[in-house]
Amino acid sequence: MGAFLIKDIMLLLRDRSELLILLAMPFLLIAILGFSLRGIFSGDLEALEMDIALVSQEDEAQAVASLQSDIEEMGLPPEEKQALKQAAESASPQTMLVSLLEDESLSELVTIERMSRAEAQESLDEETVDAVITLPQGFTEGSLRNMLFGESASGELELLVADLSSPQTDVLKSILNEFVRTVNFEGSISRLSGQQSAAEVSGGIETITARQPITSFQYYTIGMAVMFVLFVGSTIAGQANLEQKQMVFDRIRLSNRPPLLYLSSKAIAAAAIVTVQLTLLFGLSALLFRTFAADSWAFWLGIAIISIVLALSVGCLAALMVAITLRLESDAVPAIFSGGIISLMAFVGGSFMPLDGMPEMLRTIGNWTPNGAALSAYFSWLLEPELGQLTGPLLRIAVVAVIFLLLALAIFPRKGGAA
Amino acid sequence: MLETQQLTKKFKDTIAVDDVSLVLRQGESVGLLGPNGAGKSTAIAMISTLMKPSSGDVKLNGKSVLKKPGEMRRVLGVVPQKIALYEELSAYENLKFFGRLYGLSGNKLEQRIDYVLELVGLADRKKELVKNYSGGMQRRVNLAAAMMHEPEVLIMDEPTVGIDPQSRNHLLETIRKLNQDEGMTVLYTSHYMEEVEKLCDRVYIMDHGKVIAEGTKEELKAILSDQETVLIDFDQNYPELFTKLSEIEGVQQATAEEHSLKLIIPKGTRLLAALFHEAERYGAQVVNVNVQTPTLEDVFLRLTGRKLRD
Ligand SMILES: Nc1ncnc2c1ncn2[C@@H]1O[C@H](COP(=O)(O)OP(=O)(O)OP(=O)(O)O)[C@@H](O)[C@H]1O
Ligand SMILES: [Mg+2]
Repeated sequence: MGAFLIKDIMLLLRDRSELLILLAMPFLLIAILGFSLRGIFSGDLEALEMDIALVSQEDEAQAVASLQSDIEEMGLPPEEKQALKQAAESASPQTMLVSLLEDESLSELVTIERMSRAEAQESLDEETVDAVITLPQGFTEGSLRNMLFGESASGELELLVADLSSPQTDVLKSILNEFVRTVNFEGSISRLSGQQSAAEVSGGIETITARQPITSFQYYTIGMAVMFVLFVGSTIAGQANLEQKQMVFDRIRLSNRPPLLYLSSKAIAAAAIVTVQLTLLFGLSALLFRTFAADSWAFWLGIAIISIVLALSVGCLAALMVAITLRLESDAVPAIFSGGIISLMAFVGGSFMPLDGMPEMLRTIGNWTPNGAALSAYFSWLLEPELGQLTGPLLRIAVVAVIFLLLALAIFPRKGGAA
Repeated sequence: MLETQQLTKKFKDTIAVDDVSLVLRQGESVGLLGPNGAGKSTAIAMISTLMKPSSGDVKLNGKSVLKKPGEMRRVLGVVPQKIALYEELSAYENLKFFGRLYGLSGNKLEQRIDYVLELVGLADRKKELVKNYSGGMQRRVNLAAAMMHEPEVLIMDEPTVGIDPQSRNHLLETIRKLNQDEGMTVLYTSHYMEEVEKLCDRVYIMDHGKVIAEGTKEELKAILSDQETVLIDFDQNYPELFTKLSEIEGVQQATAEEHSLKLIIPKGTRLLAALFHEAERYGAQVVNVNVQTPTLEDVFLRLTGRKLRD
């Protein structure tokens, strides 16, 4: 076993083009993507700060009071009337929106200023505010009626932004979505056109993983690392193909070592290479780009656990590719894998960009790729270093790895006999 | 100690090896001779347990190796026709890897590496990468790798293809020493007649997958014992004269080559009178006439009507 490992690793170290693919390329991409896409991840906080003008075209207190008097006139038991009146007061949407925007988690990002309609328009033109949220006449009553009695809503929330495609707009849209969900009326925030582009916010529910505080360097260090470990599978299968072509494989068979020893040492070589690769990528990124602020042992221990599980799964993937390569007596598999499949897996795994807007099915597939599952494990550890959070993704990686391994064993030509 | 019985290998549309029965006795040096595509490599792959025969059997000391190849693999050193080495590793690293596959380690491993490198004369260049070696040096390492586990039988598949004369002599000399001084059993495959004549006690001749003749060199040449080979040199090429001469009564085989003509004739054929008569008629000048005892090349030619090479 040791002989196989030493030999495989020596061969890799002498292959400059492979080393370039496995180490230099991902590192370069981390640097490029990390720098150029700074600002689209909310971890890069300063880039997301925004000033919002809040325009209210109604008197909230009066609207609540009028609704309360309506309730009073309904033919309901007194306790129920009392409860509804209470609810109307505390659930008043305007108050809720403000408290949502001024919530602790957003207060660093968002500054709210109440203005009149005209002032707000002017500020937007001068770009002293980034967005205007308008609560029109009847908004409070409409949404309260919707909430309390299920009547269809008449209140419309207007969002006017300076720049439709800015990351701030994205963030604001998701905040308002959150709000819409809370007050639970159907898709009734709508747009207003002006000389600015208008943003339409539907009432759909959007998960907002990418808005979690992750920096572009963190995102792409992890994204590229989990992508480029896959190339190790191709590298190892390519080596096996060469061994077969140059008939060294025949020599190995003649030595009468158990054939499975060959396969398992290929898997272990792959896992070892991946471990070194991840250590170098994370280490260099942390040192050069200060990607990871956390320098506690516990933090790095979590990263190490995820990395080892990922490395083992790539080992199993490599075993499968070696088995197919030897069976087909061709290097088609490693070639196709590194030529296209890896990019696909990296895409659905979220290595290039967050998959929030993608179809559910794509995200499910991505979650089951070793790279995609590892990516979400790393992210969740980064956001909340809690071991319990890791079991889901790590379990998915393990299941897929075991499937790879079983397939490899089934396909591997067990040329122990005179076959 | 090693034999094949009616060994046959069919591929989709060819019968590469057809009913071949060989015997290899302890300490013997046996040649397997045949032109390109004769089925030599296929036969060797089956003997060395790397390929399953379509039918027939391979036996080591009377026991079939098809089900249990382990003992055969231990006893056998195989030198494949291709260079089966890691090009990106040095000779030393290659040998170390193959030695460790056979369970060698530590001092014993180092000693064995030193021994085989000495044997093939590469001790002083062992640190260079195999890909930087000349073809001849690669061939020598190819042999060295097969010797790491002290095999009792050495099977070589055209080990001298494409190498310089110096490496070739070194290699042949090494094999001769192993066989004669160390008593190693050798099966030597080649399409070079001279090599086989020099190295081997016994020869099998293969063509189109079949063994068409076998025996000691002398026995094989005895096939031609009632014949002689006459080599006639002319001052230049006379195609018409050559045709005429090959049609002389009794001539069994004629091969023309530039200025000379080679005829195989029964002993006692009266050729010379006719030869000079015809030469006179065509105005040709006979430079030299040489009557030879037959070579294995002639035997092959006689058996197949073809030359061994090309
Ligand atoms: N794997 C294979 N599949 C199909 N045909 C094959 C295969 N291997 C060999 N053959 C055919 O079997 C025949 C014998 O081939 P083999 O390589 O044994 O000849 P050889 O005597 O070693 O020739 P050479 O001197 O060129 O090495 C050839 O016609 C070859 O094309
Ligand atoms: Mg051959």
